[in-house]
Amino acid sequence: MSATALPSTGAVSSAQLESFSYDDAVVRKFLWATFIWGLVGMLVGLIVALQLANPIFNTSLEWLSFGRLRPLHTNAVIFAFAGNAFFCGAYYSTQRLLKARMYSDFLSSFHFWGWQAIIVAAALTLPLGFTQAKEYAELEWPIDIAIAVVWVAFGVNFVGTMIKRRERHLYVALWFYIASIVTVAILHIFNNLSIPAGLFKSYSIYAGVQDAFMQWWYGHNAVAFFLTTPFLGLMYYFMPKAADGPVFSYKLSILHFWSLVFLYIWAGPHHLHYTALPEWASTVGMLFSVMLWAPSWGGMINGLLTLRGAWHKVAEDPILKFFVVAITAYGMSTFEGPLLSIKSVNALAHYTDWIIAHVHTGALGWNGFLTFGMVYWLLPRLFQTPVYSKRLMELHFWIASFGILLYVVAIYSAGVTQGLMWRAFDVTGRLAYPDFVETVVRLLPMYWLRVVGGSMYIVGMLLFGWNIFMTWRRRPATYVVPVITAPALEKKYIPEPEYGGAPAPVGLWGRFASATWHRKWERMPITFTVLTVIAVVVASLFEILPTFLIKSNVPTIASVKPYTPLELAGRDMYIAEGCFNCHSQMIRPFRHETERFGEYSKPGESVYEHPFLWGSRRIGPDLARIGGKYPHLWHVRHFEEPTSITARSIMPAYPHFLTKTINFEQIQSRVDAMAMLGVPYGDAVNSAPAMARAQAAEIAAEIERQGGPSGLSDKQIVAMVAYMQRLGMDLRTPASTVGMTQ
Amino acid sequence: MANTNESGGEGPRLLEHEYDGIREYDNPMPRWWLLTFAGTVIFSVVYLFNVGPVGNGKGRVADYEAEMAAAAALVPTPAGVDPAQLLALADDAGAVGDGQQVYASYCASCHGPDGGGLIGPNLADNVWIHGGAPEAVYKTIAEGVLAKGMPPWEKSLKPEQMTNVTAYVLSLQGTTPTNPKAPEGEPYTP
Repeated sequence: MSATALPSTGAVSSAQLESFSYDDAVVRKFLWATFIWGLVGMLVGLIVALQLANPIFNTSLEWLSFGRLRPLHTNAVIFAFAGNAFFCGAYYSTQRLLKARMYSDFLSSFHFWGWQAIIVAAALTLPLGFTQAKEYAELEWPIDIAIAVVWVAFGVNFVGTMIKRRERHLYVALWFYIASIVTVAILHIFNNLSIPAGLFKSYSIYAGVQDAFMQWWYGHNAVAFFLTTPFLGLMYYFMPKAADGPVFSYKLSILHFWSLVFLYIWAGPHHLHYTALPEWASTVGMLFSVMLWAPSWGGMINGLLTLRGAWHKVAEDPILKFFVVAITAYGMSTFEGPLLSIKSVNALAHYTDWIIAHVHTGALGWNGFLTFGMVYWLLPRLFQTPVYSKRLMELHFWIASFGILLYVVAIYSAGVTQGLMWRAFDVTGRLAYPDFVETVVRLLPMYWLRVVGGSMYIVGMLLFGWNIFMTWRRRPATYVVPVITAPALEKKYIPEPEYGGAPAPVGLWGRFASATWHRKWERMPITFTVLTVIAVVVASLFEILPTFLIKSNVPTIASVKPYTPLELAGRDMYIAEGCFNCHSQMIRPFRHETERFGEYSKPGESVYEHPFLWGSRRIGPDLARIGGKYPHLWHVRHFEEPTSITARSIMPAYPHFLTKTINFEQIQSRVDAMAMLGVPYGDAVNSAPAMARAQAAEIAAEIERQGGPSGLSDKQIVAMVAYMQRLGMDLRTPASTVGMTQ
Repeated sequence: MANTNESGGEGPRLLEHEYDGIREYDNPMPRWWLLTFAGTVIFSVVYLFNVGPVGNGKGRVADYEAEMAAAAALVPTPAGVDPAQLLALADDAGAVGDGQQVYASYCASCHGPDGGGLIGPNLADNVWIHGGAPEAVYKTIAEGVLAKGMPPWEKSLKPEQMTNVTAYVLSLQGTTPTNPKAPEGEPYTP
């Protein structure tokens, strides 16, 4: 399969030959983990898809409602499925590209088992309602620390391998691995900074606008540096391997790598168009996203054009078919990304299913298919026996391809339908669909189509697993571990002939265009890593510093006060139940939004929001101004059984709010943590439980007066009602006109 | 760096270096790709200096205010309601039937399917919190009572839906709901 080895160049000829072997055992472990967690993540995806199509699938178990399972689905497919796939491919290719065994077998093993333990911890804590409420960063602080430790172990192992490498230059796949490893570490650490308020409870150190900014700086770049750059690295190794041909253009690799790494980090604010984020940040996010289009397509071009002259192979080889669809899906979603970042397009698409369709083109097409192709290519090499069935591979390819198509066509339709229904006015100047639930039930047929498409993809996944299992069963009794010999790197670099003996390029531009300078960087892995860090950090600081330092970004509003202790307890329940997965709390300045939900949200309203709860999706209506809209009893009945109020609602029921009691004593630690973050809590710092009890008694009495059940004063429902009735009220008090600067 | 030209000057040049058998061509970057990249950069610079806070663009709040002003100019102010017309509608089976559908969609969850009251007050008795005159009932439905949790409906419902649902509520007078809520407010006699 591999191209014929070339005679080594003069640089290393005189060095001593060394013998070593590659650690493929850890690659095999990661391969199994990729399949198992992939299947788990996708099955949870199927459950949440069913829950949206029909709320009975929320069951009566509080741990299995949509709000708790949706983060489990996203975390499992991103960090467990795609993560293990990246590690699998990276451990295999890095060793071979560097002609060295991984630096430390212990660190490899620690990385593998540590990562799997983190996934198990996620799978247990998310359904239990332990969450930081930040998308793709939901896991609570002890797990976050574990992630940081395991990730650093991976980084040390990787850098160590680069240092003891026997290949002078770093191939492009490794550039992408370096960028992924360092950037994910930076993103993870800075977005997850928080103050613990218990073993599995913490509050983000950032609030409101700043927290939103940090979260989407992280969130967008988690897509970039966890789902894009690692997989581009994998593509650069496995695509030319499978196609058995050279990569299309070395120079394109250089330009698209550096432009991608530098530009991507700016793009995060496009997730917050028309929100209370300062408009300059939103504009910068849009423009850098538009400029990302070509750098992203550089990877697609280099991938697809590697097949030039080899397209006939695609017809016969299912592995290449997977790669071609993967790269095409990458091209489509990285064209769509810049498109969605344009403000006027985003105005329609934000909060809708359009975004869900967009990410699934990327996840199912790009990450999924690249993983499938890569694993099928690895199977005979890792298990040292031919793949069990090529026909099953073909079947997997076709069923999964049609599954993706059905999924995304249905959900794109749902997204556009929803966006258009929200903004429609009739001739009398009223909202054409004032009842939010109308815009929900219209999507249900599309949600059922998604269930079918997603199920087809999962059937493909089962065929994938069967093929892996049957191939594994045919493995030899003991694996052959080939001994490789390669010369060690000379201490001193003996230069390769510059410009291949051709005449030296003329002038400054000629020397620049010849990329000799980059060739030099490629033989200095630490310098290369530092340069990557600089590219990422400098770009980040250009946005982060003004967001935090310019006071006028968040004009203060005098009437905005901290939540009462009971309201805070209700807010913690809102977070634990994952309500933010379906309900936004951020009204954009559009007529259709202010007509539907009330005055648009101001930056100053979120100053005590640790973490921000603006949300990114409206499966249900916005709640920023729900306070005072309905009587307490309305909320009680609605939480107990949503369909008793809105017959066609798809919201899960929360009857346990009426039976479970509030842990009043615990509220003190929550208030104290908030106070540490600078929220002016005053008396509540000493007497939070008493204050909460008093407010709970008042609310319970009012519920009873309205004809509701009695004896609710220590039940969780009163905390939730307290929180609901507070939302948006700060701007309704008479004082609101006094301190408003915007 | 070292280049070789595999086929005597024809075709792309293959770079000499190789990594685990993988080689790279020294193809130039596609021109259309470079132009696209340059185009997006030029677009961004131009946009930055024409739109948004940096340039002379108006910004999202000004855009919103313009949108609201344009809408206010378009939408005619609703005409006042005539109590006699509302009473007449209460005897009109068509209007009451339509009003009943509106009631079932929007009102029944709080006032009960038969108007007996649930979260909100009983609508079938002759006791009213905010007045039982036809125009008072209409006003309560249209403008809501924020303090009591009654939402305003005039922005959601069409004018004829508003009058029809008022007519239906008036027609509930004297009916006997299965599970009536205790009377709240003052008696009203026409």
